[in-house]
Amino acid sequence: MNQAELVLFLEASVRLGVPLALAALGETISERCGVINIGLEGSIIAGALGGALGALAFENAVLGVGVGAVAGLLCALVFAVVAVGLGADQIITGTAVTLGGLGMTGAIYRARFGATGTELSLPTLAGVRIPGLAEIPLVGTALFDQAATAYLAYLLAPALWFFLFRTPYGLELRAVGESPDAAEAAGVRVVRVRFLATLFGGLLAGVAGAHLALAHTGTFAENMSAGRGFIAIAVVVLGRWNPALVLAAALFFGAASAFQFFLQALGFEVAYQIFLALPYLLTLAALAGWVGRARAPAALALPWESKR
Amino acid sequence: MQWSIAKAFPGTVLCLAVVLSACAGDGSDPAEDTLQAALLTSGPVSDAGWYAGAYEGLLLIEDSLGAQVSHQQTATPAEFDEAFLAYGSSGYDLIFAHGFEYQDAAIRAGSRFPDATIVVSGGGRVADNVVPLIFRLEEGSYLAGMAAGTLTQAGIVGMVGGVAIPPARGTFVAFEAGVRAVNPDIEVLETFTGDWNDVSAAKEAAVAQLSRGADVIIHNLDAASFGVFQAVREAVADGRRVRAIGMNSDQNDVAPDVIIGSAVIYIPQAFLETARRWEAGNVGGEPIYASIREGVIDFVFNPELLGELPEGLVQEIADARDQIRSGELEVPRVRFVEGDDDPPSGGSE
Repeated sequence: MNQAELVLFLEASVRLGVPLALAALGETISERCGVINIGLEGSIIAGALGGALGALAFENAVLGVGVGAVAGLLCALVFAVVAVGLGADQIITGTAVTLGGLGMTGAIYRARFGATGTELSLPTLAGVRIPGLAEIPLVGTALFDQAATAYLAYLLAPALWFFLFRTPYGLELRAVGESPDAAEAAGVRVVRVRFLATLFGGLLAGVAGAHLALAHTGTFAENMSAGRGFIAIAVVVLGRWNPALVLAAALFFGAASAFQFFLQALGFEVAYQIFLALPYLLTLAALAGWVGRARAPAALALPWESKR
Repeated sequence: MQWSIAKAFPGTVLCLAVVLSACAGDGSDPAEDTLQAALLTSGPVSDAGWYAGAYEGLLLIEDSLGAQVSHQQTATPAEFDEAFLAYGSSGYDLIFAHGFEYQDAAIRAGSRFPDATIVVSGGGRVADNVVPLIFRLEEGSYLAGMAAGTLTQAGIVGMVGGVAIPPARGTFVAFEAGVRAVNPDIEVLETFTGDWNDVSAAKEAAVAQLSRGADVIIHNLDAASFGVFQAVREAVADGRRVRAIGMNSDQNDVAPDVIIGSAVIYIPQAFLETARRWEAGNVGGEPIYASIREGVIDFVFNPELLGELPEGLVQEIADARDQIRSGELEVPRVRFVEGDDDPPSGGSE
């Protein structure tokens, strides 16, 4: 790879990493208070279709992202009512939300655009070039000539870190994830915290989906989320439930995906499945060494009922 | 990135619908005289391509032959068996399983439901009542390769695929042969993304090939093909002279500004013809081939971009098509069908 190709590779890495980062940052917040939402995939695909329909209806990509965010939030609302409100098993509920999201978006898409589909040409989020920063050699355009949703991810990472570790609300949220009983005894409204955190996660997953449709591909296709919700959950683990590291882990995963496409385009005569497995192998390797000391929130995935 | 369990939901709903409709039919017993035809796909039929064509074929059979039809979308191999079970036990006569991935489940179902006939698109295994429907799409893909080889100015062309199953590899082997027939020095890039519907991955794969200098890109994808077209569109917007080629269905109107032509299977016609043959009692024990000769495979130029083609190209493609039809020109193939043991021709494998 020469320098020009390296720049293109880095740009692709960020494009592939941003939707993972958005979804994973939201999931970080919900997992920090003990809710593992594997319905994330459902929120992402809902966000993609919501974004597409919104952008078509308003002829405006920014409003489309807003509609996508709301669609992702609605999916998470279903999850929150059942898993947090009624205390049902989080894994089973999340699976149902994901399957429901994929099925519903397919049904809505076919009802709206015909059973055999069509390539939608959607209004897209224009790239925003940050003057000065985009001139940095090598990484400038990759990081600072992207759609607005990328900057949202960059800004959210430190903001959420500050919220979690430097504010009383963040402390309460983490307490709910470690020991909900103790948190309740200290006066924290556990269910409300978990509800809001889950909705926030759904909102960001919706933005991630809208990014896929409106910033990355300019179209919608059924199942286009292609497992990113589950990868985002792996990214949270890789990032040790720390928003700043989660952003880095998402970009790392994006880079690993981009790398495989560049290797194949370079014509390496190796089975392509090895390239496809590469990001996962790297994650496993990183998990084994780098995340050795990381510990999940103690109450993660445990249903909780008020003892009062 | 394949979490195919996630695709289960639509299948489950349709599966229920099948069971319900089978119950509703108990009184009138439609199996007596009405053809009951079913379609299984492992992806959404809204891909404006491979699966969409099959769904249109099913509807064509309904319209033309008055058949009672049903469609089900399956995901995991475990669901393949469930789906065959649902249709087999409901008395469906003709089951189209639209993909190579169904071949093993089809053999199992075939022995369990001897009264049903199962047609596996691109399948490789044969039984008395299980027949592969082999689309010689490589013939259309070869013509597409000739067009790409003529059109490329950079001397680099690209291919983006989903999963490297034999029918998909076959189209790429033939495409490459078509390119090389024009100019053996042209470089041909090949990328598989591992997912037929991941639009983002397909787009990045195409972007990577474009950045290597490719200026004509063909795909063998389902809905993810939209990502390839989008990447080509953006390169055009950046001032590059690049084009895409469609595959499976006539996709020329999917992105008429950048698709120079499509290697097509007229899937609906092939399905209808198969159903007619079944009614005449002529389906069973051997593969059904659908090729340029039967008028089921072709390469069609996009009428909107005809003006930019070099002089003589349309005629060259037409001549090659005639040569393939007459058997004078043999297109290299990837062989995967039981009993398909013609002497291997140069270039395949």
